Amino acid sequence: MTAVTHEITSVDGSSLWARCVRALEDELPGEHFNTWVRPLQAVESKGALKLLAPNRFAVDWVNAHLLSRLGEIVRRFVEGDAPIVTVEVGSRLIETGRAEPVGSNGVARPKRSEGIVVGVRLNPDFTFAGYVEGKSNQLAKAAAVQVAENPGRAYNPLFIYGGVGLGKTHLMQAVGHAIKARDSEARVAYIHSERFVSDMVIALQHNKMNEFKTAYRSLDALLIDDIQFFANKDRSQEEFFHTFNALLEGQQQVIVTCDRYPKEVSGLEERLKSRFGWGLTVAIEPPDVETCAAILIGKAQAANVQLPEDVAFFVAKRIRSNVRELEGALKRVIANSRFTGRPITLEFTKEALKDLLTLQAKLITIENIQKTVADYYKVRVADLLSKRRSRSIARPRQVAMALAKELTTHSLPEIGDAFGGRDHTTVLHACGRIKDLRVAEQRVGEDYQNLLRTLTG
Amino acid sequence: MRQLTLGVQLKERATFASFLTARNVEVVAHLRHVAEATPPGATWIAGPHTAGKSHLLQAVCAATAGKRAAYLPLESLLPFGPAAIDGADQLDVACYDDVQAVAGLDDWERKLFSHWQRALERGGTLVFAARENPAQIDFGLADLKSRLASSTVFAVRELNDDEQIEALELRARLRGFDLPVETARYLQRRYPRDMRSLCEVLDTLDDAAFTAQRRITVPFIKEILDRKP
Repeated sequence: MTAVTHEITSVDGSSLWARCVRALEDELPGEHFNTWVRPLQAVESKGALKLLAPNRFAVDWVNAHLLSRLGEIVRRFVEGDAPIVTVEVGSRLIETGRAEPVGSNGVARPKRSEGIVVGVRLNPDFTFAGYVEGKSNQLAKAAAVQVAENPGRAYNPLFIYGGVGLGKTHLMQAVGHAIKARDSEARVAYIHSERFVSDMVIALQHNKMNEFKTAYRSLDALLIDDIQFFANKDRSQEEFFHTFNALLEGQQQVIVTCDRYPKEVSGLEERLKSRFGWGLTVAIEPPDVETCAAILIGKAQAANVQLPEDVAFFVAKRIRSNVRELEGALKRVIANSRFTGRPITLEFTKEALKDLLTLQAKLITIENIQKTVADYYKVRVADLLSKRRSRSIARPRQVAMALAKELTTHSLPEIGDAFGGRDHTTVLHACGRIKDLRVAEQRVGEDYQNLLRTLTG
Repeated sequence: MRQLTLGVQLKERATFASFLTARNVEVVAHLRHVAEATPPGATWIAGPHTAGKSHLLQAVCAATAGKRAAYLPLESLLPFGPAAIDGADQLDVACYDDVQAVAGLDDWERKLFSHWQRALERGGTLVFAARENPAQIDFGLADLKSRLASSTVFAVRELNDDEQIEALELRARLRGFDLPVETARYLQRRYPRDMRSLCEVLDTLDDAAFTAQRRITVPFIKEILDRKP
């Protein structure tokens, strides 16, 4: 949306909307302000203040909860006739990263339809040079290189499958970059299947299906990611089937990725599965530790960071599920290093990733503290809750109380209640006693640490 | 006659200045950078429900000067369906709270996936908060889970007893009064020891003290809070 805006400025030079925002920030609960008011944009003109909200739901909320108050605030700031405040769905400034379709020689190709842009910009990091090859992906990489050298002819379609976060997108985009490097005029489009579906819905809504079809069918190479997102979307499959056929007939390259072997995708039409098998189907397996370490070193280099080999292996051994998770861990290490100014060493990395690796999944309750402590000291939970004051019972009870204070957010009276209706001063005494004993008696200190480890995983 | 307090007292806002950093130095520094520079990419903060994650997300929104930002508490928005967050992928900065609340809900997960794709395509900045890190949450959509796992993940640590006292003193100062340490310790001993509950207690006391034109002392606390049902 474009709009010529004329801001209504007040005495202090700020816009009317800026002043309204400041007033609302003072009046509304912070959560409401940040959720509903902060994302609003204003188009101010003489006699009108139009607010643009991200969605219909936000428009309804503003209409129901804010509009009349806003009218009062506006009248406070404007002398004479106050502008009328309205709200609608919209955005004043949208910068998209979506790329123009690449190449435009126009010879013997249908023209790109106005208003339909196919695909998004290729990720500049996803090249063959940045792709780490290992046993798990060497066949897929070899096939991709062949396709890049001979698009539309070598293997068409090229179907790459494998689990999430293993580098399928990287490999398909590397082909796209290579095709572009050989022919800068080539029209290469990368699109995620989920986007294909939503773009098609928009084209249907706006009666632009012909432009949609023409835009896709005029490509030299279509890279379509995560085809499993087409499952049970019959209309999208139908349209993609025809697009796919048209591209193959025209010897235009199609590369498809999926999280599983084509025949195993449920909710996908048989004729589509069959077409996917016409070219070459290659798998990417989870990388081994050496490949993971090499990937980490490569990604660190791309961020201008030197990652020691022992650090790369430490991270790779602990995070084995997929490359994206490795990437997350690396980002954390780099962020910590930049913040502290310290070099990345093994010790530093262990420290930086400590909370990532040990974030607690458990919910610790007073009940499971009592049970764990009772098991540890070989007493019954009922004993901990009883009035018995023998040392064999009183000491575990005090330890359990101290752990309940440390590991839960219950108040001291609540903890006392949970231990047979004791007073909060008893809990306070128990916590103080255990704090002293942990220093004075090695055994108590060890018991406490053991229990802490057991309870926090 | 009771004195009206609305619009008179200083209001504590969820900003970086009103957050006691304590042992969360790195995550706070990172989030400040995210708010100021709005680098493309995603950050994930994880921690217990009273560790201050919601405060930090709102502080990010507040510090994004001149940018279009929003705080999206998914648990609260859940009853309204995923359409309640439509358009958030077009913002400069989108902060999603309580992400664990939508795990296992296919339509919500697909919406988040779509937002992730769109936002990062346009170089947007995303900040997520949840009880756990992405790998520990039972998302049904593996594609979403793996993408979220590529975020820069930080843990937010809960305040210990001494830090809680400092945080209560800070909150009191921001509301325009001094809270004696002994009074803060009394609150800590008698009421739930998570910051959210303690802040609610403090706010209730402040409102009552302002209305009654009294200082917040232990006898006053007993008078006000012990008479509550």
